[in-house]
Order: sequence, then C-alpha cells, then structure tokens
Amino acid sequence: MTMTQSEKTFEPEITAFYCVYCGYMAADTAGALQVQYPANVKFVRMPCSGKTDVRYLLEAFEQGADGVYVVACPLGNCHHVRGNERGQARLKRAKKILDEIGLGSERLDMFFMSGSQAQAYASAALTMTDRIRKLGPNPLKDEGRRMKDEVKAPLEEEEEADFRGRRIKKG
Amino acid sequence: MSLTDTLPLRHKPAAALVVGGGIGGMRAALDLADAGLKVYLVEQTPCLGGRVAQLGFMFPQHDCVLCRGTADHGYGCTRPSISPAYIQHNQHPNIQILTNTRVVDAAGEAGDFTVSLRREPRYVDIQRCTNCGICAEVCPVTLPDAYQLGMTMRKAAYKTAARATPDAYSIDKGPYCDDCVKCEQACPTSAIHLDEQPRLESVEVGAIILALGYQIYDAAELEELGYGRYPNVLQALHYERLASRSGPTEGAVIRPSDNRQPRSIAWLQCIGSRDQKNAFCSSICCMYATKEAILAKQRLKDVQCSVFIMDERAFNKEYSAYFTKARDTHGIQYNRCRVSAVSEDPSTHDLILRYTEANGKIHEERFDMVVLATGLQPPESAGQLAEMLGIGLNKHGFCETDKFAPLQTTRPGVFVCGAFSSPKEIAETIIDASGAAAEVMRLLNDRLNTYPTSREWPFLSDTSGFAPERDVSSEPPRVGVFACTCGETLNEHLNYPTLVQQASQFPGVETAEILDFACFPEALGHIQEHVQSDRLNRLVIAACSNRTHESLFQRMMRQIGLNPYLLELVNLREQCSRVHEGQSGLANRKALEMVRLAVGRVQLAQPVYKKKHRCRPSALVIGGGLAGMTAGLAIADSGYDVHLVERSERLGGNLLDLYYVVEGVNPQRLLRDLVNRVRAHQRIEVHTRTEVVNHTGHLGYFITGLRTKHNGTGENFSVEHGVTIVATGAQEARQHPYLKAPGVITQHELEEKIIHQPEEIAALKDVVMIQCVRPENTPEYCSRVCCTNALKNAARLKLFNPSCRVTVLFKNIVTYGFREEYYTEARQLGVMFVRYTDAEPPQVYFDHNYDRLKVRVRDLSLDRWLDLQADLIPISTSIIPSVGSAELARILRVPLSSEGFFEEAQMKLRPMDFMREGIFLAGMAHYPKFSEEAISHALAAAARAVTVLSQRDSLYLGGVVAQVDPAKCVGCLTCTRTCPFGIPQVIHEEGRIGVGGLGGAAFIDSALCQGCGTCTGECPANAIQLIHYTDEQMMMRAIGGLGTWKIPVISEQ
Repeated sequence: MTMTQSEKTFEPEITAFYCVYCGYMAADTAGALQVQYPANVKFVRMPCSGKTDVRYLLEAFEQGADGVYVVACPLGNCHHVRGNERGQARLKRAKKILDEIGLGSERLDMFFMSGSQAQAYASAALTMTDRIRKLGPNPLKDEGRRMKDEVKAPLEEEEEADFRGRRIKKG
Repeated sequence: MSLTDTLPLRHKPAAALVVGGGIGGMRAALDLADAGLKVYLVEQTPCLGGRVAQLGFMFPQHDCVLCRGTADHGYGCTRPSISPAYIQHNQHPNIQILTNTRVVDAAGEAGDFTVSLRREPRYVDIQRCTNCGICAEVCPVTLPDAYQLGMTMRKAAYKTAARATPDAYSIDKGPYCDDCVKCEQACPTSAIHLDEQPRLESVEVGAIILALGYQIYDAAELEELGYGRYPNVLQALHYERLASRSGPTEGAVIRPSDNRQPRSIAWLQCIGSRDQKNAFCSSICCMYATKEAILAKQRLKDVQCSVFIMDERAFNKEYSAYFTKARDTHGIQYNRCRVSAVSEDPSTHDLILRYTEANGKIHEERFDMVVLATGLQPPESAGQLAEMLGIGLNKHGFCETDKFAPLQTTRPGVFVCGAFSSPKEIAETIIDASGAAAEVMRLLNDRLNTYPTSREWPFLSDTSGFAPERDVSSEPPRVGVFACTCGETLNEHLNYPTLVQQASQFPGVETAEILDFACFPEALGHIQEHVQSDRLNRLVIAACSNRTHESLFQRMMRQIGLNPYLLELVNLREQCSRVHEGQSGLANRKALEMVRLAVGRVQLAQPVYKKKHRCRPSALVIGGGLAGMTAGLAIADSGYDVHLVERSERLGGNLLDLYYVVEGVNPQRLLRDLVNRVRAHQRIEVHTRTEVVNHTGHLGYFITGLRTKHNGTGENFSVEHGVTIVATGAQEARQHPYLKAPGVITQHELEEKIIHQPEEIAALKDVVMIQCVRPENTPEYCSRVCCTNALKNAARLKLFNPSCRVTVLFKNIVTYGFREEYYTEARQLGVMFVRYTDAEPPQVYFDHNYDRLKVRVRDLSLDRWLDLQADLIPISTSIIPSVGSAELARILRVPLSSEGFFEEAQMKLRPMDFMREGIFLAGMAHYPKFSEEAISHALAAAARAVTVLSQRDSLYLGGVVAQVDPAKCVGCLTCTRTCPFGIPQVIHEEGRIGVGGLGGAAFIDSALCQGCGTCTGECPANAIQLIHYTDEQMMMRAIGGLGTWKIPVISEQ
C-alpha cells in the first residue's frame, strides 16, 4: 500500500500513560540501550496502571490526542498485585465508548511488558505510530477536521468500511 | 600487636558486616539498617544482585516483581535489587555498599570485631559516572559477557547489566586490557582513573552475616552427558538466560548449534545432586526445571518437553499444584529415571538419550536440546573464608550449623543465611536473611536505633538538620526550569539554547537555564542560588531518569527549603535524546512538549507530607509453640515488650509431642529451655488459655481484644501494641478411613509408642508405612516433613529390631537438602521402598484366612500387585492448618492460601510479611516446616517486627495516598472491592456523612494505603483523589496537557 499525501505530512501526536514500575522501566531501558522509536509520543506517569481512569483516556482524545496507550507491567506481575488487570478492564470500557462515539477503539491500546524489554517497548511505539498514521488525525481537533476534509475520499474508502463492519458485528 | 587483657575500653560498634550482595545479603542489610544499625554490605563482583539477577522468572508464579521485595514503593523497577533502598541516590543512608571487595581478616569477638577488607579497584568513580557508555564505545577489547554466560560479548569497560547497582560502569583490567587509556581520555566527567590501586581498609562491626550463596555444579565433570562437547547440551542457567526477557534474545529460546527453535527439550535432573559424590539434594532443581519446561511450552509452538526425574520434590506452598499444572495443562512429560548417557547425532547435533523406564524397558529417544538441571555446590570462597574466620564447614563443604540454632555458625557473632548453610530457594534465603538479622539485633540490642535515619528523611522537617520548609501556599507559582546536558552528551541531538529560550516563555516560568551536570554538587549550589534570588517555589529539572535521580533532586528540594513534591523531572536522556536519532526536529519538539507538560503540572503541585506516628514499643505474638516462643524471645531480647498469647494451657505446641529428631538432638531439651526462658523473661507476659477476639489499628498502633478462659468463665481485656506476629502453627490430620482399621496409627502415634512402649515396638515383625495420606476433601500438597519423619521412625524400628521388615509406600520421597542422607541410611538399614500412584492407592484389609492385617499395593517397578503383611500400619497424614485459622484470618483481615494456611504478602520475597503492614507470619501457620525452618521463620518475623518497633517516635506513614471526600461518597462499596489490599472501609463516624445524609462514608486509612490509585479510577462518584495524582494533575486541563501538542512541527533540517 502506498502512502497517501496526508500520511506523509501527518505526524501523529500520541499520549502514553505508563506505570512507574515496568512501564517506565521499559522506556528507560530503551534509552539505556539506545533502541530507537518515533519521537511522537509524550509520557504521562501514573503510580500504577491501576490508576488508569476512563475519564483520563477520553480526556486525552477530547484534548486532541491522535492516539493513546497505556504501558503496564506484564499481567500477574503488578507491583500492586492486580492494578494492571483493573486498568485493562477500564481501558476496554473506554474502547467501547470510543467505538460508540465513532472515534474508533483502535486509537487506544494497552501494552504489557517487563522493565527489561526495550525492544518490546519500541515495537509498541512503532505499532501505534503506524496505526495512527493510517487512521489520520483525531477528528475532534481543528487540524483533524481540516485534514479530514482534504483527504476525505481515501479515508472513507479504507477505514469507514472497518467502522461499519464493527457496528454490524455488534448488532 | 599482641592482645592482652588490659585492652582499653572502647566504643562498641553499632554496625554489622554482611558478606555477599545477593538477595540474602541485601535483605539482611536492609533489616539491620531499618533497625538503626550501620551496615557494610560487601560484594566481590562490581554489582549487587547475585544469582537472582540472572533469573528472569521465579517459580511458581512466573513473576519478576523484585520490586515487591519490600513494602515500600519507589520509582520504577528495582531489579536486580529487592527494594528502592538500593537504587542509587535513594539508597538507605545506613547501608554502605562495598563492591569489588573481599574479607581478608576478622579479629575480635562477638559484639566487637575488626574486619579487614581488600578493595580491588573499579577504576571508575561511582559518584561521577553518568552511565553515558562512551568508555565502552571506545574500548577496543571485546570479551564474552559472563552475565549472559558468554552468549553475547561485552567490552572491558562495561556495566554488568543495564540496571546494575551501583549504577556505574567498571573497567575489567584483566590481562587482555592493553592500557590504551582511551576510556580514561574519553570519559566526559573524568570518572575513570586507571592508576587506581587496591586498598586495605578495616571496619569495626559488632556482628557478621555470611550470605555467600552457592556455586553451580560444573556439569563438565560428568563427561557422559556431553556438556561442553555437544553444543545443544545446556546447563540450566544457560537456558534461564535464553528464556529471560533481559537475556540475549529477549526471551526467545533457540538452540545454540543452529539458532533454530527446538521442537523437543529434555531436562535431566539431579546433575551433581543425590549421587555418590554429592550425597545431598539441591532442593530447587525439580521446581526450576518445571518452570523452564513451562516457559518452553508457553513460548515454543508444539514443543515436546520431557523431564527425567527421580522424585518430584515440590515441598512448598502451591508447588504441588504447579507440578499438576505442568503435567495436566502444559502436557509436560515426567519420566521417572536417571539418564546415564547422552550421545549426539553429529550431522544434526540432535541428542540421543537412552534410559530405562520404571518397569525396566529400555528406551531411546531423540531431543533437539538437553538441559542439565545442575545442582548447588558450596560457594567457591567457602573454604578459604571459613578458615580465615574460624568457622566450621560440614562434610559437604557448606556452613556448619546446629539444628536448633540454624543461623549461627560455630563462631559466636558470625551468622549465616541462604544457600551457604544448605541448598535453598529464594523464599528460604529471604527467611534466613531476616532471621540472621534478628540474631544480630539480639546481640547488639544495646545499640539498636543508633542511626535513626531512614529513607523517609527527605520528607521530614524536624530532624536531620534541614532548614525549615518554606510555606509557599500564598505565593503564586514561580517556576524555574533547569535543563541538563549531562556533560554535553545530550545536546548532540537536542538544541538546548532554543529549548530553554522557549521554555522561559511558558506561563509561570521565571527562569530557564542550561546546566552541565545537574546532579553534581556545584549545580545543586547553582540551583539553590536561583531559588533564592528569583524566589522560585517550584522546579522543573529536565535531565534524566526519574528512577535513578528523582530522589536526589527531591532531597535537593528539601535542602533548599522546598517541599520535595514541588518538583517535576523530565527525562530528556532516556526518553528523548538517546532514542530519537535522525529525527532531531521531532525530538526537539518532543523535548519542549514534555517540558511544557512538566511546567503545567508542577504549578498544580501541592506539598506532600508523611504523618508522624508514635510506635507502641511492644509486640503481640499469637501462638505459644516453637515459632511463637522463638519470635517472642528474639523481640524481648532486643528490648521490646511481648504479649505471648496461647490458646491451650501449656506453652510448647507441637514441640510438646516431639521426642526425637532424625539429626539425633533432643527436642525436649529445646522445649524446656524455651519455656524456662519465656517464663523468666521480664519483658514477656504470657497469656495462656487466651484467644484473640478482635484486632484493630495499623502498623505501630494496634489494639487487640483478648479473652482468657477460667473454668468456664471468661475474662476480656485488651492490649495495645505496635506489631502482631501470627504463629498459630499447624497439626497432623487425624481423620481418614484408613484410621478406622485396627493396627493403623499415625506416624505421630508411632513416635509416642516408640518412646512409651518400646517393648511393644521391639516385638513387631512387619511394619508397612503409607505416605501421603490425604483426608477427603482437602487440597493436595506436600506436607514437607512426613518423609523425613517416617524415615526417622523406620530407622528406630530397625534399631530396636533389625529383623523387623519395614516397608514404606510412597509417591515421592521428599528428603531435600542434607536430609537425603537419612534416605540413603534407611535403605542401607534394609527399609524397603515401594512407589505407588494416586490411580492405584494402597488398600488396607484384614485377611480372614490368615487372621492378619494386610496392605495391597501395586509395585511399579515389578509391575505387579503385592500383598504385604503388617503388624502395624503407621500412616503419614497431611499436616493441616490449626483449628480456627480461618476465624483468626477474618479477625486480622489477612488472607488464607488455597491450602488454608496464612497467605504471606509475596510468596518468594516477603514470606514473613502480610500484605497488611505491621502483621508478620512465623512457623507452620505459613506452611508445614521442620523445627529449624520454623526457628528461622520466627526469627525473620521478629526481625521485621523489631525494624518497626525500633522506630519508636518516628514512624512516618502516609504521603502519596488516596483520600475520600465523604460529602461525595454514596457508600457503594466499589472501593472496598477494588482495593488490592482490602484497605477501604465504609464506616459510621461523626462527621463522615455521605451523599443524601447517608449514615457513613468510605474511609481509607492513610497509614495503610499503598498509594496505587486503583480505587480512584473506579469510584463512580469520583469521591476519591490520590494525593500528587489528582484529576487536575492527571488531566492538566488548564494547559491541555494530555492532547494536542502545542509545539509546532519544526522541519527536519
């Protein structure tokens, strides 16, 4: 698939929430080992991924983030016993809301990794970047609205089908 | 100098030396430091962590969670250490880490040693090393990396692992180093000094703890297994590195000969254990091999895993269930045999194993990979160190200890913990380590709390000589931004002048500056000047990792009179400069956006304080058995009051009926000694016939209601205490259909008979013992002590009457550690062993034809049924939790494990703590144990208790905790269900009225809250806020912090 013009010029603005244990450490290890990833993510710390709140995730989109993800400790390895499981449950709820309002749940994701997995962190950052680049800007922000008008045709062709597909499935 | 009896009286050292920086040494040092003693932690390699640092996963939960090794919550991952207390800049002020150091001499006596240390040069100044890695880049010497077992290469200038402690490089100036001095020249902070010389230093300490660990058996000694000759025969640690996420492949298991994923792997057990030369069991290999096999199953598609095993030794909490899971869920094949030889198909490097099945059939099977479950050997330095310190070693070369003083060496004042005393797993090592610390606290009881500093100190305003904190509540935010270039290494990719110029334009920013090394003292002075001259009240430091440096800057904040929480750290180094090469435009944009966020967030920051509590200087010990008495004595000897509560009318518990042990010492003497000491101790108040009725409060201040029964009437009273120890023990199950038959007794009853009716025992001709008898409807687990117990009684029977035929029917013989000797001895005495399976359990019946009691069992090795005559059938029934454990758990609000025993905070790393702080666990209430293990566990609980009690007037609790707004609470109980620690409670109390005049509201005790914030995200009424992470601080609405980047994209030029 060739890149559309908008994909080339559009630089995603991604917000990543991380817990201060494995999540933070994975990004830290990437730094220590100089593992490279795109510079389009800003970090917001949480004491534990159990702090993940549906409101925070939605607020990020409302404020204009193109993509949001949470980096947490591997399941079963939470410093606070099962904070990451609670966080995951809330993230799923937020995804559902995103689908319902038509923003699309694929803009939101959660990654579980150990503090030493620099490569895993970098690949999460890459995955999100690629995905958001294809999805285009957050339609809630001004730039998003403008760009969506410009590139309406290709977006509808590729992505709207996906949206519809999901809606049909839900019945 | 000759020692004379006229030595001048000198100051007694309030310090201890811990030898070995592995998990045991770290744990012991931490407990001693918390009790206010100075600790020298000596490690011979350049970093802490020991063996555990190389393990990616721990059985049986497959977790890392070294960060859960202590109750405190620091920033980020603590690996390879067990606590934030070992992270640089956040280190416990009482601990001095001495790496590259060996003990060369120890003169003096218990309470007053002078220890000489030889400190090898590291060639790198830890204080000045910034971990930039330039020395390794310029170093021309490449060597195999021992941490990865040679699977990757490192330079001679290197760091053992990315997160080593101390967090600094070191230079390996071995013969391969040709002194090119490139590293010295390249170091931007002049931290490298290649002319550094070894130094001799001496320290004065009151006690020494040896935590030397173990070395791994060299599998090359067994030539027939091909280790070292065949590339695909691996040693277990090798496999462990491959499967570890921090390993050379980030966890992908590949075989060395062709880097292909193996389709079949075999584990060979007991390599260097349970043989003629090493007549002991290494205790951990059964479990770790199972773990490795499960990891293979989880990572490799359709892999076939076979474990060649003699006995399944899964003798701890949930370990039996782990084996069952391995076999049933993961389909791991266990073959009961020992493989005598491995050969290789040279064309494919596949391995061919030839083995005999249980029934004698010979099999040949090919495997892609063979892992040797190598056993534990005494540490390399054991012999030399023992000679120098004058301590005894046992015949296997491990440290000699007494059964009833398991943590003492033969030299007074020198204690031992972990695998140096016998092969041990992590949990046992941790227990030993804290237990050894308790022995030291007891010995140095007149010096506890000499150094009352703790890691809490940045948050205290009334001690440690800080200037009083400035009240900034009425000042508008005045932010200072300081961007650190880390010695010009970060500005290669980031444009610092533009960064600070633009940052200075952000609202609220008064000053923005570039610093060279923000963490060096000069810079700290510079920042301080700015704070004063520009009247700054909040700081943003754009430098490096929060994990390593946040505490340093927090302390700096406190030093300059600001609350440590009025600070934001931006990690430009790990999160920006080093990870975005070739995208400098975007990287600069990201750096500025992150500074913008920090500036916005710091303006919302409010001071955070911990609340000071007074600790009640006494302990409540529940249970007056071996563990309870041992713990009580250790606490009382350390100088604190003890309330010892016993339900029955006599102290002693199970020890009352223990007449002899396999090692030959007399447990009744121990009992008498303990009871006499407890009864006579001024600080111990014994409450017999007393039970716990209720228990409220928190760490440092509990109130417990007790009830004493006197001839049918009861008396209620309550005690106040700082800590609680649960030592309620366990008991032998007395219910099973077998026991209905005449002639069937429990092993315990047999022991009574041996002591009280020896003539009856001497007349026995045939005795059949049945092991692993589990009462109906109880979970399956190994009761740990029964095999050794049965062997002890079997040996006694043989002693009384050598012609008596003793047969033991067993599933697995679990004689771990040096207990293996007694298994060997029993076989030499002529005791017969017959293995049975659960599918075909032994049947006890009365043969009317012969008028004899008989046992029918299927012998797996003969592959036929046997009918054994029996005069007496002693059975080993499960050891079950004490009656009333569930009720006590409810009163204390602590959980029980699936087996019904009390559940500790973390199975491996906190086996003597409960998740509820201030309550500790000792002895068989945790799991069945031998007396020496119960003693260690009781001492460990006592050590943890003393670390709390010794803080007397300065127990600081709270800080970053959740707070409920009662006016918003609807009393829905969501928080009580959500909290992983069970802390929130909906209570009725004056002033706490919920929405709509609800008669109560949720309450989260700030002394208990762990600060994870899980409840805040779930509260439907949004009534809970986490301090320092409030909704406003998280969402940053004022600056739009979560969404659109407010920094324009700069073109990539």
